[in-house]
Amino acid sequence: MTADVSFWIVQALNALQLSMLFFLLSVGLTVIFGLLHFVNLAHGALYALGAFVGFTAATLAGSYWAAFAAAPIVVALVGVLLYWALIRRMRSAGPMNQVLVTFGLIFVFLDVFRIGWGDIALGFAEPELFSGRSELLGVVYPTYRLFIIGLGLAVLAALSLVLTRTQIGAIIRAGVDNDAMAACMGINVERVFFLVFCVGCALAGLAGAVAAPVLSVTTDMGTAILIPTLIVVVIGGLGSLKGAIAGSLLIGFVQTFGSVLAPQLAAILIYALLAGVLILKPAGLFPARG
Amino acid sequence: MLEIEALETGYGETRVIHGLSLAVPPGRVTAVLGRNGAGKSTTLKAVMGLLPASGGEIRFEGRSLLGLRPFDVARRGLAYVPETRDIFPSLTVRENLELAARRFARPGAAWTLERALELFPRLRERLDNGGQQLSGGEQQMLAIARALLMNPRLLVLDEPTEGLAPIIVQLIHGVLGDLRREGLSMLLVEQNFGFATSLADEVRIVGRGTVVWAGTPAEIRADADAQAQWLGV
Repeated sequence: MTADVSFWIVQALNALQLSMLFFLLSVGLTVIFGLLHFVNLAHGALYALGAFVGFTAATLAGSYWAAFAAAPIVVALVGVLLYWALIRRMRSAGPMNQVLVTFGLIFVFLDVFRIGWGDIALGFAEPELFSGRSELLGVVYPTYRLFIIGLGLAVLAALSLVLTRTQIGAIIRAGVDNDAMAACMGINVERVFFLVFCVGCALAGLAGAVAAPVLSVTTDMGTAILIPTLIVVVIGGLGSLKGAIAGSLLIGFVQTFGSVLAPQLAAILIYALLAGVLILKPAGLFPARG
Repeated sequence: MLEIEALETGYGETRVIHGLSLAVPPGRVTAVLGRNGAGKSTTLKAVMGLLPASGGEIRFEGRSLLGLRPFDVARRGLAYVPETRDIFPSLTVRENLELAARRFARPGAAWTLERALELFPRLRERLDNGGQQLSGGEQQMLAIARALLMNPRLLVLDEPTEGLAPIIVQLIHGVLGDLRREGLSMLLVEQNFGFATSLADEVRIVGRGTVVWAGTPAEIRADADAQAQWLGV
């Protein structure tokens, strides 16, 4: 089967689709870290929350697009709550306390999911617009998965544009480079961080709702994706958009091709990759700070 | 304009500044001299709100700066040129400048991007270069230009000549001299004795976290004992 070109194309599309999910998650995580030096382990739980909220919205409204709209908004609002209740207070508490608190949040969310939605796998259908299959590059491929790839690329393009071409983008990059100096130039770094945190949460929620029709909605989906997402962030370089892109593609492709070409090795491949990158480039492939 | 009275500050449990008092009158330049580790930079950080004061008072134009966050201090009209220059490496030179220019632009403002580039023509050639691609001298020009684009009423400079080639030091001296003649108030921390005393109206020497000598440039030039004791000149 590996001699067949269409096999490689299908796997490449699978890998691209997985990469885009990783990207939607890791970009928020990495920019939050870069700006705040804050590791939010609950980021995966926010992704799962997006899937559950999406499930409820899609079921109530009878339309996929209700999930697509509701998940990022609700998760961003939960992010606002988390920010004011916990994260703002934890800013100067040191990394160990931050990790412990956000690790605890994972379990809180797990139980919230169990209480609210039960411990069974849920699912909702993809939108009619993107149901069925399409032909691309000589292979037949699920249209919805192409939509995920397209959405990921669109978010990537929009974020790159905002970060590199606008004043708010320059402010965010300045904050990541040196928050103290940015503050000395009259920038309220705290407010910029809050905005970025909310956008990061919204993207995690969006990723959850988008992934739900492909993967199923389970209580542990957030913890399952957290580890590869953290690896993406570390490989790419903490705080770096370019790093999130490169890391997502790398992990998406290694994980996808690993599981079809060398299934017995697949489980350790991304960890081996992580170790390799850390040995050769300890700050990641595209570190945010010079 | 700026009055620091009996300031106490430091890093965590470590007290670095003990009862330090000094002032910058409007339109004047006060130079702060002293050896490494005397507490000069620490004082500036407290002024900018980067370090909390545990005692004393810092007033700017009659209003206390204590407890304000750095961005509020900046918005009151203080622009800071740190010892490490702190150019944003992932921003281009133009973005570094515009970050200040757009935020503090207002009709009739003294400083515009165009004027800053006339002051440092070298920066015009480097506009699209990344902040990390600049030489030390170019970084210092950018740090000063960026501070001026905030249209400050007080310029706070931390060792602007450190590590620079003599020709760049001369250029910076010329620029600061022009700004002084225009009446811009400055608080200048410097190790370069000649540079500082030729620009300043008043000189303060900081030693062991407090002001140990106060006078004019002419007086410190004539006071060989103070120079030997506090500056090691």
